[in-house]
Amino acid sequence: MTAEALLTTIRALFPMLTALSSLALVPLIRLWRGPQRDDAAIYATFGVQLLLLATSLGAILAGAGYLSTLKIGQVTIDPSEPGRLLVLLGGIVFAVIVGAGEGRRAGTMGQIALFGIAAIDFALAIPSGIAPIAFLLFASLGISGAAASGKDDVSRARAVFRDLRTVSLLLPAVVIAEILRVAISYAAVDASYATPASLAAGTALGVSLVVIAAAGVFPFHGRLIRIFEALPVVGSLLVGVWIPSALALIVMSELSSLASNITDPLGGAIVPGILLAGAATLIFGAVSALLHDDIGEIVGFMAVGNAGWLALAAAAALQSPTDSSSRLIVLPGILSISLFGLWLVSVRRRYGTTSISELGGWARRTGANGIALCAAIIALAALPPGAVLAARLNLLLLGGNPLVALFAVIGQVLLIVAAVRLLLVGFTPPSQTVHKAETRPFANVITISLIFGSLFVAAAAAGWLSIEAGGTGPLPPAPSVSPATSFDPAPTSDPTVAPSNEPTPSATASPEVSPSAGGEISPAP
Amino acid sequence: MPSLELPLLFIAILAGMLAVTSAGRGAWVAIAVLALSSSALEFSIGDPNHIGVTLRLSAIGIGLVAALPENLFELQALRRDLAVRTLAQTLREHPVVVASAIAGLLLGLVPLALPIESSSDALRAAGVALLVVGLPPLLTSRFIEATTRAAVVTLSGTLLLRTSIFGELDPLAALAIGAGFTCILVVGGSVATRISNAEEEQ
Repeated sequence: MTAEALLTTIRALFPMLTALSSLALVPLIRLWRGPQRDDAAIYATFGVQLLLLATSLGAILAGAGYLSTLKIGQVTIDPSEPGRLLVLLGGIVFAVIVGAGEGRRAGTMGQIALFGIAAIDFALAIPSGIAPIAFLLFASLGISGAAASGKDDVSRARAVFRDLRTVSLLLPAVVIAEILRVAISYAAVDASYATPASLAAGTALGVSLVVIAAAGVFPFHGRLIRIFEALPVVGSLLVGVWIPSALALIVMSELSSLASNITDPLGGAIVPGILLAGAATLIFGAVSALLHDDIGEIVGFMAVGNAGWLALAAAAALQSPTDSSSRLIVLPGILSISLFGLWLVSVRRRYGTTSISELGGWARRTGANGIALCAAIIALAALPPGAVLAARLNLLLLGGNPLVALFAVIGQVLLIVAAVRLLLVGFTPPSQTVHKAETRPFANVITISLIFGSLFVAAAAAGWLSIEAGGTGPLPPAPSVSPATSFDPAPTSDPTVAPSNEPTPSATASPEVSPSAGGEISPAP
Repeated sequence: MPSLELPLLFIAILAGMLAVTSAGRGAWVAIAVLALSSSALEFSIGDPNHIGVTLRLSAIGIGLVAALPENLFELQALRRDLAVRTLAQTLREHPVVVASAIAGLLLGLVPLALPIESSSDALRAAGVALLVVGLPPLLTSRFIEATTRAAVVTLSGTLLLRTSIFGELDPLAALAIGAGFTCILVVGGSVATRISNAEEEQ
């Protein structure tokens, strides 16, 4: 291997290599400090935090250009802009969360975060089709299993069990969608098939199901709530927010290419169905967040509300394939829920309770946590109005249904009200629990990193840093042809020709269209 | 290996049925047999390097080693649990599963729902049969080990169905799916252990 090839490999796989290096680093630190030493866990946490920040730095340095594209035989790993942006921000977010969480398992949680963001980067770097979706689904399962380990807690185990069932059901849905997708090309020339519009509707339903179920869109919200109730915050955020959002980016890219190749409207009320699910999810998440008393559950319901936006974005990707608003809202959503997670882990660590009734006066006692929650509220509201808010409004306009738009706006306002309620509780007279709790001095590394970290993340989420556009970058396209040896009908068009954004004429418009031999969900040639 | 396709197909379906109906040793051995036979079917076309099949078998092997319950390899018990009579009795006790497998096999052979003419009939039939055998317990079972095995059966069926139309997986997809099989088996095994430990403590 030449030095150049080695450098390309490091650039392409940097987050994965850092995650793997943590497997050696953490045991080495523990060995160095000795198993009986109390500070072994602190050093391990610090080491993992450094690795998380190094991953962020590596993502900036390596970037997503051609210099980072690794080719091994027929396999191409082409890091994407959204993937690298998620690594950059994920490294910072999780380094702060791990620091705020402290404790004996903080190092392990940091390792889980490293593997989580590495999995996201890797999945967004491999060509579209079944591989990245399968990779993310199984990474989600592995992370929930790893995050739940450490104690024999039945509720944790049951949350993971639910995840196992969901993942095992989603993969067949993706494969069915792939099969329907390839049948669209046949439908254009063979009347015995269903119409392209109805096959496209089936494909859209299959791939949308991945986002709907993984992100926790109503009525699939139960899994997400259990995850936030049972798993540690790092695991909850990765499994419930980060990985589903990365899946959403892949799915929206697939939906856009699908919709841009169909001239007829999609059959089967798929778009209205997804729009309705999105609006209902926003309302449901917000009302539930207002009604619950446990801050873990409240953050879980806020994540459900965010999933509502993902569903609205999926519908918009089908309605208007060329519009980037659907992908623009993904990153701010991830970051705002992560800020709530950061606040949750910090408050839970400080006061040892998650019940609002026992947390009266928390913001008076720990001002840094108050700043973190204010940052989260600003991120959620996307204030002051800018690109993120404009993208959300655009999604509602693209949906084309005033009632859905009204419900979505009400849901978003209620989500903000639920978050403000948490802040107001912090300014009531201190409860017994809050009064008795030990606090650390303000001039402390963890406190300062909490404040600066949350302000930085809020700035990124609200659109002040203007980095959210990186989340709309292109993902590696599907391989041009992956024919089965037994697959007779050959494409008449040149398979190496880049997919066009021009719509494929429907059966009535152009019956001479030839079937595609491409085995992946990709734009028909 | 076209001449072996038919026997492998029947072995895979039989193993799939036993994996979701048997308990303990019989089910785990059935999962191993299913993994071997479905991998041989899935990766039989082309692939001179056998990367896909190697990845798949090593992934399922690692997963099985991690997930297998203790005392699985007690010779006496294994012989008793794997006796033909015991296996036949198990299938006789679950006529719905057998009927589902037959229905799936027929549905897959007659491509009414999937009229892609050039797809492989045998693989499609095996895929649909394993899907209809695996999906019901995956959706409804309350037992973790049984759900884990049903997930493996469903996933094997899905991949056979996919292979029948698109051919074998590319190396990256094979890697992702292989990791997925390991993940399902390891996570399923650890969840089952954790719940039983917690219940014992209670």
